[in-house]
Amino acid sequence: MVWLFVLKNLSLKKNEKEILRDINVAFDAGKVYAILGTNGAGKSSLAYVLMGVNDYKPTSGKILLDGEDITDLSVTERAKRGITLLWQEPVRFQGLSVEQYLTLGGKIRASRDELESILESVGLSGKLYLHRMVDGLLSGGERKRVELASVLLLKPRYAILDEPDSGIDIMSLSMIEKVMEHIVKGNGSVILITHREEIARIAHEAYLLCNGSILAHGSPDKIIEYYKNKCDNCSHANLPAVEEVKI
Amino acid sequence: MISIVDQKKEFELLKKAYEKAGGDASKFLDKRVASLIISGNKVIGLNGLNGVEIQPEQIQDGVKAKMLIKKDTVLTTPIHICTGFLEKHGLQRVIFEIEVQENAQVKFVAHCTFPWAEQFTHDALAIVHVGKNAKMYYADEHYHSNTGSIHLKTTTRATVEEGGVFINNFTLTKTRIGKLHLDASVELHTNAKADLSVKVKASKTDEVAIREKLNLFGDYASGIAKTTVIALDQSKARVVNEAYGVGAYSKGHIKCEEVTKGEGVDVSTIPVLKVLNELAELTHEASIGRVNANQLQTLMAKGLTEEEATELIIKGLIG
Repeated sequence: MVWLFVLKNLSLKKNEKEILRDINVAFDAGKVYAILGTNGAGKSSLAYVLMGVNDYKPTSGKILLDGEDITDLSVTERAKRGITLLWQEPVRFQGLSVEQYLTLGGKIRASRDELESILESVGLSGKLYLHRMVDGLLSGGERKRVELASVLLLKPRYAILDEPDSGIDIMSLSMIEKVMEHIVKGNGSVILITHREEIARIAHEAYLLCNGSILAHGSPDKIIEYYKNKCDNCSHANLPAVEEVKI
Repeated sequence: MISIVDQKKEFELLKKAYEKAGGDASKFLDKRVASLIISGNKVIGLNGLNGVEIQPEQIQDGVKAKMLIKKDTVLTTPIHICTGFLEKHGLQRVIFEIEVQENAQVKFVAHCTFPWAEQFTHDALAIVHVGKNAKMYYADEHYHSNTGSIHLKTTTRATVEEGGVFINNFTLTKTRIGKLHLDASVELHTNAKADLSVKVKASKTDEVAIREKLNLFGDYASGIAKTTVIALDQSKARVVNEAYGVGAYSKGHIKCEEVTKGEGVDVSTIPVLKVLNELAELTHEASIGRVNANQLQTLMAKGLTEEEATELIIKGLIG
């Protein structure tokens, strides 16, 4: 069976403002896709639309997974089909230990050894962190690592990682790369939202998002190069991109 | 006068109810552990230890007990207290006068269990004195019948002397509440510390009224009063957290978190902060309303339904 996650002519309006415009993308299995774009380009909105987050229902267009129209499915239903989202700013949970959080209160069966090993793979000591609370006492970086561990444990088909590197020191970028490699090894795909070229380079394909439109699609090196040269000094900031750039 | 046979039977019944409430009844038979077991208006178990004096007396509809933790006594195992009522109807009054003398350290684990009560009032008063540099921790967990007709009135008046520490945790999350009136007030002297915490889960037509008060009288006294209420269905909750900064450099923080789920819930919180010394510092935080949407979405993006996600979030909040 061919796995395919497709957005077809997808648009999103919020408060009369166009956030996403006629997006057409397809994500295959076992690959990393980078979505690059400046602040306000619509990257996080795209992530929320893919996950089906409340208030991010497309105004038009379709989302298809393996041919099934999942546009109207809830977050939970999409998660059950193997889609998950790592939030840019993961929320805190008072009174829940890392162990409870990772196993969703015991719903996911995993041995202590397995949990510890997953935490080690995101740079946290399993023994120390399993009993820590997922509350405000964790630093932003620690919280992000716990979230990455959670994504690994879920073994998703499509992991949407919204700026997984934010709040994490540059020395730890290789850890994020390893997490993505691990997902891909399991034939899952990563939809990586970032504006950091170092991390985008690991992708197999890249999309450039500009003012809610896909401006370009191609190899990460070319998209990054374009992004570096053109997007920093953008001539049409806050204006809709009218045509696709040929790279 | 209660016969030995009746007492044994009562103890067995209470033991079962106590274990159902999450208590470890084996502690009551362990002579190395200080304990007090009250059933109705009778004391059916009592064990003291070196440095600990427990003097119970029967009063009308209840029991009054004086507990003394002598100077410099440091207890390594908690004092276990079980207060039970095994009838369906009635009134139980409990008065505890607890004195923790200078430099003593003690932890109380108290379980109140009323497994079959229907029309029942439990009226508890704790008068606590924590001496200079002494530490006292009191964990009070309640287990009620599910009739929702129990009326629980619990009052705490604590005084903490210089350098002393008082930690008081009240929990009623496993069963229906009925009606709860909780009133806890602590006076803190120089360098004294207090941590008052209440966690309750109200459902159906339960009614909750909570008042926690920090009187920061001494210089450098500090305290925190936290209330967590999960209000479901048509339950009602009123929370008032108060802090008064009198001592120089005293610090107080009050926090109220009320999570609602149910069309008929009726909840409110009122923070009262009053500074009577320009060097005192008081803060408060409060949240009231539905389960945090971002928390819900985060858990749902891992495959939990909204119901399951709500349950897990609430589990974290009330422990």
